[in-house]
Amino acid sequence: MNPDKLLVVKDLATTFNTSAGPLPAVGGVSFDLNKNETLGIVGESGSGKTVLARTIMGLQPRTNVTVTGSVLLNGHEMVGVSEAEKRKYWGTEVAMVFQDPMTSLNPVMRIGKQIDETLRVRLGMSKDAAKARAIELLELVGIPSPEQRYGAFPGQLSGGMRQRVVIATALACSPKLLMADEPTTGLDVTIQAQILNLLEDLKEQFHMSVVLITHDLGVVATRTSRIVVMYAGRVVEIGTTREVFTNHRMPYTRALLESSPKVSNPSHTRLVTIPGRPPNLLKLSLGCSFAPRCAYATNQCHQQRPELQSAEEPGHSFACWNPLPSKREAATQ
Amino acid sequence: MSEFIQETEMAQEALLEASMVERPEKNQPLGPMFWICVGWLALNIIGAIFANVLPVQNPLNQDYNFINSGPSLHHIFGTDDLGRDIFARIVYGSRVSIAVGAGSMVIGFGIGAPLGMLAAYRRGRFDTFVTTVMYVFLAFPAIIAVIAVLSFWTPRSMLKIIVVIGFASVPLVYRVIRTATLAIATKDYVIAAKVQGATDRRILMKELLPNIAPIGISFLLIGVATVVTLEGALAFLGLSVNPPTPSWGNMINESRTILAENPWLVLFPSLALCLFLLCLNFIGDRVRSHFDVTEVKL
Amino acid sequence: MTDTTQPLLKVRDLTVTFGKGHHAVSAVAGISFDIFEGETLGLVGESGCGKSTTGKALMKIVEPSSGTIELEGVDITNQKGRSLRNIRTRMQMIFQDPISSLNPRRRVKDIVAEPLDCWKTVEGDERDVLISDLLNKVGIDPAVYGNRYARQFSGGQCQRISIARSLAMRPKMLICDEMVSALDVSVQAQILNLLEDLKNEYGLTLLFIAHDLAVVKNVSDRVAVMYLGKICEIGPSDVLYEAPAHPYTKFLLGAALEADPDSPVHGDVLEGEPPSPMNPPSGCRFRTRCPFAQERCANEEPLLRDVAPGHQVACHFPLTIQSSAVA
Repeated sequence: MNPDKLLVVKDLATTFNTSAGPLPAVGGVSFDLNKNETLGIVGESGSGKTVLARTIMGLQPRTNVTVTGSVLLNGHEMVGVSEAEKRKYWGTEVAMVFQDPMTSLNPVMRIGKQIDETLRVRLGMSKDAAKARAIELLELVGIPSPEQRYGAFPGQLSGGMRQRVVIATALACSPKLLMADEPTTGLDVTIQAQILNLLEDLKEQFHMSVVLITHDLGVVATRTSRIVVMYAGRVVEIGTTREVFTNHRMPYTRALLESSPKVSNPSHTRLVTIPGRPPNLLKLSLGCSFAPRCAYATNQCHQQRPELQSAEEPGHSFACWNPLPSKREAATQ
Repeated sequence: MSEFIQETEMAQEALLEASMVERPEKNQPLGPMFWICVGWLALNIIGAIFANVLPVQNPLNQDYNFINSGPSLHHIFGTDDLGRDIFARIVYGSRVSIAVGAGSMVIGFGIGAPLGMLAAYRRGRFDTFVTTVMYVFLAFPAIIAVIAVLSFWTPRSMLKIIVVIGFASVPLVYRVIRTATLAIATKDYVIAAKVQGATDRRILMKELLPNIAPIGISFLLIGVATVVTLEGALAFLGLSVNPPTPSWGNMINESRTILAENPWLVLFPSLALCLFLLCLNFIGDRVRSHFDVTEVKL
Repeated sequence: MTDTTQPLLKVRDLTVTFGKGHHAVSAVAGISFDIFEGETLGLVGESGCGKSTTGKALMKIVEPSSGTIELEGVDITNQKGRSLRNIRTRMQMIFQDPISSLNPRRRVKDIVAEPLDCWKTVEGDERDVLISDLLNKVGIDPAVYGNRYARQFSGGQCQRISIARSLAMRPKMLICDEMVSALDVSVQAQILNLLEDLKNEYGLTLLFIAHDLAVVKNVSDRVAVMYLGKICEIGPSDVLYEAPAHPYTKFLLGAALEADPDSPVHGDVLEGEPPSPMNPPSGCRFRTRCPFAQERCANEEPLLRDVAPGHQVACHFPLTIQSSAVA
């Protein structure tokens, strides 16, 4: 395996066995992540991005879920292995930051203790060493007066502070990969900016890779080097951030970009909308999942699911039978 | 990193994500077990109501040929130490259980539920006052109060038992209904109704009641089960209906002294009681989950 | 846009205080603004600024502690009971969480008809036609979906139903409290376009409360920025976004995450956290985080004053004047 690749995901699929039938929340996703890279995974509700993140982490439920494919985390396989096996890597190789800091922190346990716990259990630190390190971590994530805040309960902190504590907990054992699932959704705009800056700084300090999962294109636009666009459980476009934003080929990507209101637009700009609604994953068609809503759909699009194909720029792929014309081609012509 | 994985939660999330389009309209199926339980309860109730016209022996009739006998052709469940047919006594005894269970819940809910809903919706001084009073009553063990009152309020009759247990259950019903209403009264759709100009009465009937009903009904059924058990306990203390009127509780009570000779006298009433309670609880739980619209069904 | 007639909504020195004594929190600490007929005023700010509380106070869901609210010239500040109910039809609200704004156990048709049924304005066939009409206008087919329960719909559809319900009595004014915050981007776009269309068709006036700056700008004619219970700046949206006069507005805009890889990265980030509303700073409430704060800011509270026609700012050293002084 290529030593530069921290994460190699191949044909990962997660299907839930529900009373209404099999639900393919994630269907055949492949991508890799280099060391010290920030990757963005973008998608709306139902795109499967959260399920994907949790599947990569190995956090799938044991019953009623089928996971196929492979996830190589630093060479270690995470699919189909026992929980004891996966537990070895949780915290030490990979850590996750979830969206709602109030539910990812134990509300009745002091925050210092929550960080301590990880250090003592995973790294075997003594009580005092753990406390010292915990205070160090709190300071690192920008919590003022960390010695006093060490004994605080999560409910006593603001949303932004809590998220910093969650990040501190995640970084306690210096993981190589940090998965951040909507880490700033719900936080104020100014706090969002602080948290994202913090993540960038910490990435440098800890030499980590970060996966930013979000529905907010603004979050990924300036803070990721590559992005993955997901729709209905599959990857529809992947490439460098700049390439995907400026030279996207898949119509859904364009539709997504165009339906976000921009501060730079004048007031009362009519937004471009995507007609229809996201597909029902319980009843996916054989063709492209986006076809029913796509202005460019052809017969083939409705009948056959497109696979990822490469575009000109290396690393840029998209899944579309009738892609948008490449701006590069147009430029050269 | 939490080692404890919420399995259903994650899968539920995925299902929710996936069916953002249309939530599948399929309530949790009631299942065959549900109907079996309903059937059993119905049987008990019919037995209780129509005992007089059913081919059941006279429960007070003492048949001296069959003292403490086990099940036989004459007496399918056997007889007690006075030769009375156990089966007949169980059928007639169900009257007591059902009447006490249903009757006291009617009182408990009739008073506790409207008060609870009103207090939770109105808040303010009314709520504070009534809740404080109720909580004071709740602090006092209901069973002791019931025992005390029934000990002194003689001569005992089924009506008195129903009334005493009924009133004793009001604070608990109040609390449960009030809590359930509180959870709903702050929801946006209730505020929206107010903002549209709906009167309080309209909001209580159209917005709150339909959403409280499932919890209420489920609690009602479990309440009946509790009261039936309570009647059994009271009988044990000699505080239930006076002999020779049969009730499941006092049959079990009577069996204490003759356990060695006549195990049937404790077995069958206990069985009847257990099955009755099991069915009630099961139905109560099923009703709750069937009507729970917030749970996504997996 | 000169509107010399009386404003549709006139708010003066509105305060909303929760709790008493030491624990009193003034969520809204004295704000004044007007909304003119036919316009959309955006109200933007971060959590704790009091924008949602303002909306609720206007709807009388919470009681204003002091100040006046005048709707169509009528003082509604202290109205209660029956007279309040009568006013309810003039102003309606759309809530943030689309799912919980609809009673899950009621059918869509009944939910939309609820205001009509409360007031018994129309009955029978006329009522049914009105309901179908409303549902069609918001893009929900009454024949297919009318009899379904509210719990069967997605977030975007629920929000459409909420909009239909709020329009049933033809209000003059609609308060939108974070109405698209819980929706996906593509659904948000649909709802915003729908809102715009309905606004024009029904001649509505909107107060659009949100924290997403891009959304607010898109929808509003004028925007008011709130911080810790006070209005910092209020003016036409294009002007405010191009050349904000209040430092807080500038930081807010700087922090906005634009979906554009070339947008200027990391403008000055506003450090620190907002102070607790229980103990707001003296003078200007923003001074603890403001890089331009001076002694005067601690001693004297800045009041809203004009920096340009229609553009007011509550700052002793507004940016526009600073920059023009430098120039």
